[in-house]
Amino acid sequence: MNEDMNSFMDEQEEDTQKGKFLTFYLGDECYGIDILYVTEIIGIQPITVVPELPHFIKGIINLRGKIIPVMDARLKFNKEAKDYNDRTCIIVIDVAQLSIGIIVDAVAEVLNISDDNIVPPPNLNTGGRKYIKSVGKSEEKITLILDCEKLLDENEVNELNHAND
Amino acid sequence: MRLMIVDDASFMRVAIRRMIEKEDYEVVCEAEDGQDAVDKFKKYRPDVITMDITMPNLSGIEALKEIKKISSTVKVIMVSAMGQEALIREAVMNGANSFIVKPFKEDKLIEVLESMKS
Amino acid sequence: MENSYIDEPMLEAYVYETSQIIETLEQLMIQSEKVGTFSEEAMNEIFRFMHTIKGSSAMMMFNEISTLAHKIEDIFYVIRENKTIEYDFATLVDCILESVDYYKIEMIKIRNGERPDGDTASLTDKVNDYLVKLKKDNGLDKSKKEDKEKPKADQKYYISPNRKEDQAKYYKVKITFKKNCEMENIRAYTVIHNIVDLVEEVLYKPSDIIDNDQSVDEIRSNGFHMAIRSTAHEADIQKYLDSTIFLEKLDFEETNQEWFKEFEVIYQDQEISDEIKIPETSKKYVEIQKNKKEKEDSKQEVTATAAQSIISVNVDKLDKLMDMVGELVIAEAMVSQNPEVVRLEIESFDKASRQLHKISSELQDMVMAIRMVALSTTFMKMHRIVRDMTRKLSKDVVLDVYGEETEVDKNIIEKIADPLMHIIRNAIDHGIEDAEERKIAGKDPQGNLTLEAKNSGSDVLIIVKDDGKGLNKEKIYEKAYNLGLIYQSIEDMNDKDIYRLILHPGFSMKEQVTEFSGRGVGMDVVAKNIESIGGSVIVDSVLGKGTTIILKIPLTLAIIEGMNVKVGDSRFTIPIVSIKESFRPLNKEIIRDPEGREMIMVRGLCYPIIKLYEHYGLQTNVQDYEKGILIMVEEDDRSCCLMADELLGQQQVVVKSLPNYIKKYKQIKGLGGCTLLGDGSISLILDVGEFELSNVHEK
Repeated sequence: MNEDMNSFMDEQEEDTQKGKFLTFYLGDECYGIDILYVTEIIGIQPITVVPELPHFIKGIINLRGKIIPVMDARLKFNKEAKDYNDRTCIIVIDVAQLSIGIIVDAVAEVLNISDDNIVPPPNLNTGGRKYIKSVGKSEEKITLILDCEKLLDENEVNELNHAND
Repeated sequence: MRLMIVDDASFMRVAIRRMIEKEDYEVVCEAEDGQDAVDKFKKYRPDVITMDITMPNLSGIEALKEIKKISSTVKVIMVSAMGQEALIREAVMNGANSFIVKPFKEDKLIEVLESMKS
Repeated sequence: MENSYIDEPMLEAYVYETSQIIETLEQLMIQSEKVGTFSEEAMNEIFRFMHTIKGSSAMMMFNEISTLAHKIEDIFYVIRENKTIEYDFATLVDCILESVDYYKIEMIKIRNGERPDGDTASLTDKVNDYLVKLKKDNGLDKSKKEDKEKPKADQKYYISPNRKEDQAKYYKVKITFKKNCEMENIRAYTVIHNIVDLVEEVLYKPSDIIDNDQSVDEIRSNGFHMAIRSTAHEADIQKYLDSTIFLEKLDFEETNQEWFKEFEVIYQDQEISDEIKIPETSKKYVEIQKNKKEKEDSKQEVTATAAQSIISVNVDKLDKLMDMVGELVIAEAMVSQNPEVVRLEIESFDKASRQLHKISSELQDMVMAIRMVALSTTFMKMHRIVRDMTRKLSKDVVLDVYGEETEVDKNIIEKIADPLMHIIRNAIDHGIEDAEERKIAGKDPQGNLTLEAKNSGSDVLIIVKDDGKGLNKEKIYEKAYNLGLIYQSIEDMNDKDIYRLILHPGFSMKEQVTEFSGRGVGMDVVAKNIESIGGSVIVDSVLGKGTTIILKIPLTLAIIEGMNVKVGDSRFTIPIVSIKESFRPLNKEIIRDPEGREMIMVRGLCYPIIKLYEHYGLQTNVQDYEKGILIMVEEDDRSCCLMADELLGQQQVVVKSLPNYIKKYKQIKGLGGCTLLGDGSISLILDVGEFELSNVHEK
């Protein structure tokens, strides 16, 4: 299924990538990531635990010789953990020269959402909501578009760091 | 036309190669000193050689002599610099077919190469 | 670029080669200066270097660069050709090093896409003055012509040996060369030289085409005139002359004997003579060719073997190659460890996959090794720094270098040159006293500076040690206190903590700013640079005896020999150099102190124990000492025992740094990086020095 996804993305690559979002599920909620950030999608694979990290960073993986950290989106958004299965995917994103894998329940599709259909998020700055940049509407479906910078924000990381100390 | 570029300076080899790439010349090999040139000449038998003069191991003139001993028909163009008049004269006496003086532009080089076809 | 033919690859090749030459030239200078003379080999090399720079730069239209190189080339030409010549060695070295500096700056400009616009006027003048003086002092400033004046009227023109008077015709020829074809005199010579087979006799004007460079100008303005007497077909002669390279215009007409004689007279009027012996050489030449032709046929082709020993490769390609090899290793593991295949237990498959594994891991090692570069080039640069500093400051300092063969990843090497340079400058400027002061202190008037590199576990240590006046603890403390950098009392701080204060931003011990070390940057910049590559700086000093600064550089991407151990589901790699021994302990050997800390007695010495599963909060079934294994590790004479579930085996591993995201989150104590094991899984590399070791010997 991963290959399907990747080839699907290749087809799309020809077009302008603006307004395209990779959508995925956490439980019943549908999230979107601006396709510009996404470098690839891989299946779940063995994760090496690195000690002393916050619980949502599951560890590191070997991506063809490149070592990248992986973050469990469920845990990051304060949702209950779920065992990984063969639908579980790691979406590898590149933000400000940092590569990181995001573990999600399942990848859905690449969605076109025009600017008209994107609205600011409801003012709910709690839990996972604070990582939502905007909300996209399409075919009666609501997609929560993630703010990737915020997801990997160093200050954010540092805050957590202190909280843990 | 099959060409061998002989120069100890890699820049000059790149420069000559790029200058003639658009034309109908095939660079069969490059050599980086005189001895290398003689060895590679035996192996590749180019039609035309551009030969630097100041090189380690075997100078361009010595290499010219050696190569002309092997084949009298190969055309050798000496690549020289200002101030090397005496050396070019020696080269011409030893069978160099022509010479070109650094700095040169591609039109000059191509003109010399074209004249080698006759 | 105003020249259409100069493109990116050419520019790249130019900058790369020229920079390399400059670097080698600089080293050659420093080496020669130590010996106090240029060896013949060095002279030849310098001559060739300058010749190459001259030619390449001229091609690139960098005329200033080319002209300067030409002048230096001339100097070495003169020195080389006149074995007994006397020349001012020191000034020459200075001139060349100054030129090296100029070239370095220009190369940076070119690399950045700027024009090399440095002003060479004074430098070129200096070099030129040197050349003029050199010639004058050695009586070489007379013109060449005086040297070899041997007029031979009868050899002014060429008369063919196979002279046939009867059918000969006379021709009048004027050749005009194309503009800017350069060395028209030699081109004319070529025409004369090659016409021998066609003609009985040839006269030409100007006649001094070889010995007199001025003849170039005459040919340019008036053309090259020939009078030919020949029995060959007119068409053949014309065809030959027409084929002259860079021919702009050919005037060719038949004439009579009278005109020919007249030409001869005009020709003889000219006082200049030359001594071309065309008949002889050309005859010989023909013979040689004949001989060779025969030889050629009998000669077997000899294979060319002169292969290049070194090539340059773009680092990006190496990175890519490394990633691909990583992928290969994983793919290999996926095939050979495929559970369904493994279940079949096919012996031939196992054998083949073992072979594959061997090859792929060798391949992996090799790719890593390719990236490693010796520190020698970086260290060599320091000789130059020391030389310039000691001269300017009139100090006598000798630099000794050790361990320059130590290898570090390419990317790291680039980042340590500047900090190292800064430390060396500091040491000479502030550390080492001048000769007077040293004498008073009872030291050797000559200062000593040592630069040493060595491997230490997963690090490379670069040690800069001087025997200067050392750091004044009290003064540093006082200053730091006044600056508000510290609040503790001096008694509460140990020496190293105090010395470390000099790495603090804004802390500079020297009030006076000197040309070399005081450019508004201090040791804090050094520390920052080294930390940016995951290293650290250690300062130690003894007042009056000297200062030692140690740069601890991680071998990121370097290969180390490591022992892989297992703790629960995790694997760790311990650098072999840190391991003293490993053993299975007996429970009764374990000692617990009142605070619950566990220790073990080994041969009468007491070692603290760190249980890895406990230290890192990992799940494992092996919690009993007798089921696990203890690995005794040591760094800097301090030791402890690490407890793991089991040893997995020793192998060479490639050190990779942890992802930046994780490093930014937290510096995890005791983790020096990670590595990929053969099956594609990740093992964490332990940095033994960061564990709580204890000085066992003192207890």
